[in-house]
Amino acid sequence: MEKNEIIEKLTLVFHEVFGDNNIVLRNDMSAADIENWDSLTHMLMITKVEEVFGIRFKLKELNKLKNVGDLCNTIEGKLQG
Amino acid sequence: MKSLFDRIVLKKIVDAIGLFPDRFAFCINEMHYTYRQFGQCVSKIRNKLSKADHFNTKVGLVINDDLETYASIIALWLEGCCYVPLHPNWPLERCQDICEQVELDLILDSSEQTRYEGVQVINTLALPYEQDCLMPKAGVSDEELAYILFTSGSTGKPKGVMIMRKNVASFMDSFWQTGIKITEEDRCLQCFDLTFDVSVQGYLVPLTKGACCYTVPHGQIKYIYASGLIEDHQLTFGAMAPSMLRYLKPYFEEIDATSLKSCILTAEACPLNLMEDWYKCATNVELYDFYGPTECTVYCTYYKLTKGGDNKTLNGIISIGKPLANCVGLVLDENGNECGVGEKGELCIAGDQVTKGYWKNEEKNASAFFYKEVDGKSMRFYHTGDLCYKDADGDIMYSGRLDHQAKIQGFRVEMGEIEWHAREFLGDINVVCMAFENKDALTEIAMFMETEEFNPEDMIAYMRTKMPSYMIPTRLFYVPVFPLNSSDKIDKVKLKAMIQ
Repeated sequence: MEKNEIIEKLTLVFHEVFGDNNIVLRNDMSAADIENWDSLTHMLMITKVEEVFGIRFKLKELNKLKNVGDLCNTIEGKLQG
Repeated sequence: MKSLFDRIVLKKIVDAIGLFPDRFAFCINEMHYTYRQFGQCVSKIRNKLSKADHFNTKVGLVINDDLETYASIIALWLEGCCYVPLHPNWPLERCQDICEQVELDLILDSSEQTRYEGVQVINTLALPYEQDCLMPKAGVSDEELAYILFTSGSTGKPKGVMIMRKNVASFMDSFWQTGIKITEEDRCLQCFDLTFDVSVQGYLVPLTKGACCYTVPHGQIKYIYASGLIEDHQLTFGAMAPSMLRYLKPYFEEIDATSLKSCILTAEACPLNLMEDWYKCATNVELYDFYGPTECTVYCTYYKLTKGGDNKTLNGIISIGKPLANCVGLVLDENGNECGVGEKGELCIAGDQVTKGYWKNEEKNASAFFYKEVDGKSMRFYHTGDLCYKDADGDIMYSGRLDHQAKIQGFRVEMGEIEWHAREFLGDINVVCMAFENKDALTEIAMFMETEEFNPEDMIAYMRTKMPSYMIPTRLFYVPVFPLNSSDKIDKVKLKAMIQ
């Protein structure tokens, strides 16, 4: 899957989970940038990402995610892996 | 004669600073700080406070996750003041409402740029350390305030719970009588927001023993970061909300929590099966279920679990056990008489941990507290609103709420407050909010509106200016006409059935 396609799909996940269709993803975006990005919505987002991309994260991978860029790279890595 | 608070709390912290200058007091955002650094940070703030011109001993504290914020609490207490936490991520309007209610004339803020205007703000980050200033101010009574915490109120305004120095001292005394042992060798998790009173246990337990306190920075996903801290820093003690473990459950096989010696589950009803699974990651741990509303100062009852043994449950929820040493807990019926064994009633708490009351809220104070004679002595009780019963051993079993309060990620949320704000925006439209468990057994808030479907963006944006994010409903339902039950009330059972 191309990076663009990953970002496109991820954007839809974010719109749905965070209930805001105006979210435009940036690599440096983190939980501090989206108002209702907390434990609950994070969990919902991760579950949705796993479902949409057909992948499964390890806790260590989640622990390293500092921003949206890291998330994209991890998804890309897992799809190739 | 020193006050209880001085002896049980302040002196212990000042002693730890003196005894263990080179041990770590905090690990915040991957940075370690020694007790010497902590003592200097407390001193610089205390020095400034003692010279500051303010009339109100209640002082606003912007609770950033940094050394200055924790040091501010101790500095305020040494100076005989009380702290009123103001969350940097809460809507400014909500924080300003708190400032106005308490008539704050001084705010301590370690942010680079403060959000507050028209009030004296001390930027604690910019203060220089000159000399130690760690002697508690003399003559401060145990009847003075230690902190005021604002919790969700059903009338749309947060309500302030006043906790006195006596309450905190009494709580710490109760806590150590549970037998949990902490020494300067321990590494303790502090993963609760400072707006939430379990945080008081979170920092006081390590700081009064010279142990190190590991915090979870704002903007981090709490359960993931906390599990990283436990593993990377080999934490030995911590209090967590069961929902954190529920989030972590899919990853339990990957977690090594063998360093944990004792772990407290609190802030929510605690399911036994989750704890049995947690034992598999935390193989050396003693687990405790602690219960307590903010009004009773952090915890007022506890139950120690037996690994692999018979643990008492009701509907899969672990017993909340027996009252702490300085608490009296009775289960009372509607007429205020004590219920018999196995008979359900409201849990009511008395003792030195019970708050003096709500800040400037006579109506609520009149309804939430009452006097009852126990063993020939008149005691002041707090209505917890929790439905419970006692078994033959006197262990308290938790059955649910009597009202429309729910726990979202450990935070107390009044459905009425969310409905109030939604109605403010929607006008005459009927609104019902309900907490429900999603398929991962996590609590979400559903909001039902008696209307045709509309674009909710503006409404959600409005609600976000009024309430913290955990109070914003995650599921919206548009129902043209609400179903009614046989007594012509909105049929909440039918509404709830719409949640898939």
